[in-house]
Amino acid sequence: MFARRARGLLDFTFALLCVWCAYHHTPAGALVRRTGAWAFHTRTTARPLLAYYDGVSGTAMPTPNALPASMLTRVPTSVEALAWGTHSALKGLDPKAREPALALAREVGIAPETLLDAGRGPAATRRLLDALAADFPSEEARVTAVFAGRVPARFALERVGAEGGGLTLERLARQLPPGFEGSSVGAAQALALSTALMLGWPVAESAPVTSPFGYRTHPTLRTRRMHTGVDLSVRTGTQVSAVAAGVVRRASEDSVNGRVLVLDHGRGVTTAYCHNSELLVKAGTRVEKGQAIALSGSTGRSTGPHLHYQLELAARPVDPFGFRTALRVADGATEL
Amino acid sequence: MPSRPASSEAPSSSFLTDVSRFLGAFRWAFMPLGLLALVAVGVHAAADTLDDRLLTAVDRLDSAFDGFVGQYPATASLVDWVSLETRTRLARALTLAWELAADLLLALPALGYREVAAPAPTEAWRAVTALSSEPSAPSSWKALLQRCLRRPTPMRWVRPLATAGVVLAGACTVARLVQGTVYLSWRPLFGDTVADLSARGLAVAALCGVSVSLGWRAVLRNLQHADAACAAVGPRRAWTRGLLGCVLVAPLGLAAVWDAAPVLSFLR
Repeated sequence: MFARRARGLLDFTFALLCVWCAYHHTPAGALVRRTGAWAFHTRTTARPLLAYYDGVSGTAMPTPNALPASMLTRVPTSVEALAWGTHSALKGLDPKAREPALALAREVGIAPETLLDAGRGPAATRRLLDALAADFPSEEARVTAVFAGRVPARFALERVGAEGGGLTLERLARQLPPGFEGSSVGAAQALALSTALMLGWPVAESAPVTSPFGYRTHPTLRTRRMHTGVDLSVRTGTQVSAVAAGVVRRASEDSVNGRVLVLDHGRGVTTAYCHNSELLVKAGTRVEKGQAIALSGSTGRSTGPHLHYQLELAARPVDPFGFRTALRVADGATEL
Repeated sequence: MPSRPASSEAPSSSFLTDVSRFLGAFRWAFMPLGLLALVAVGVHAAADTLDDRLLTAVDRLDSAFDGFVGQYPATASLVDWVSLETRTRLARALTLAWELAADLLLALPALGYREVAAPAPTEAWRAVTALSSEPSAPSSWKALLQRCLRRPTPMRWVRPLATAGVVLAGACTVARLVQGTVYLSWRPLFGDTVADLSARGLAVAALCGVSVSLGWRAVLRNLQHADAACAAVGPRRAWTRGLLGCVLVAPLGLAAVWDAAPVLSFLR
């Protein structure tokens, strides 16, 4: 069938290239690497299998212990939020993955250790991001530059430009060769954290919390289980607003969550609003920040009128209060 | 009549030829592995573009499921079965399962790849009589394509075409990695211009080389496999043979061509 030819060297080279590529850039390759590491008791750099699709699934998302005092008194700007998200993600990375950011800090005259400092870190990171703003106007490219380095980020940006289409972190990360996996994860985490920090609040800030995030005894099932959001006490018919622009991923009704909406804000950030009396938008609709999306109620498994508000980063529920920066309503206006 | 000597029997003229001939002795090992890897890379490139669509589909299915089981008190607890936070992970896991299944269907036949020595050259009149007595080799391109046209089945058409799509996407991914690796590692040594030009040139070379060296072989091997599988059963059963696999790989083949094969980007 296939004629044998004396092209062994070329064929060998191309076969080797494909094996190298599959080994580093496919979940099947990651399975082989993990099996090898398990068999020979060595460490592997293979990412979690699900992270091969969106960059962050299956990875540990660093959650902040406390927000800086300045962010508790006013709504942060997008630049401040990005700096804080980048600083938090940098702190969560291993030392080797931090190297490009520290080298970049040295290059622009910032003491590298200040990037990781709890007090001075966000301001130092902001200076670093400002220094990159001229070369990398988009936030995705700027964050990639921090975590991967200036040259790799510029290369990735040019490649995405050559391919055409929208600029996303996933597409930028796809252009980088093996060895930048940690950088891609860090950049994805930084964007997710900064996006979460910019979220508004679905109802008035004054709405009391009747059940916080965390383990609790379920009010109707009487079993101890994780409460994956916060319950905000509001009257039936209260307007529920989108906390950020996004796409309605789900608008449905069931006997547990009642009338439920799930919004996808991109960058690995999702919010859910349960027990509504009426849904004002349909699945697939694009909504803007502050837009009325539902009227609250007590549908589903509920003991009284309330809104169950849930925030997910990289498909994991986190406490929305960890990202509530200042007194404000969903449209971003400060409520004093 | 003089016959043309086989190229493999030519005396070695250089070190490169000797190395090439030496490596050629191991084709039985690295060629199937290379084909398998190329298909795996292409399948992943395609699956990576479909993951968000699968997430939307899982959302819709889950909301329909929740709506249905929530109607009856006995099944209402099943609503919690797929909670809000597990849905994304489930969709990603489904994408992973889809990809690994497509790997099994499209890449595993590559392990059956075998090469045979080119037929010994014969005099012209012998070749003519040989052709007249044996209509065609059973698994040549021509014979396989004729069978595809005369006895079309989903497996005979969908598997090779899907393989063609994913190997194109795989070749693009390999070329992209070659460009990135060469540019970023050569830039400190040779400067920006040389590294950029070299990286672009080698990326195009990798794209063409992988397609010519491995791509068509992967397609032909899948065509052979599909033909053999269909020939092993009767004409009626051949229509349903491998139908589920075809349904599984067809969307990946389309996604590979539309979304994961930016061939022209290497020329810009």
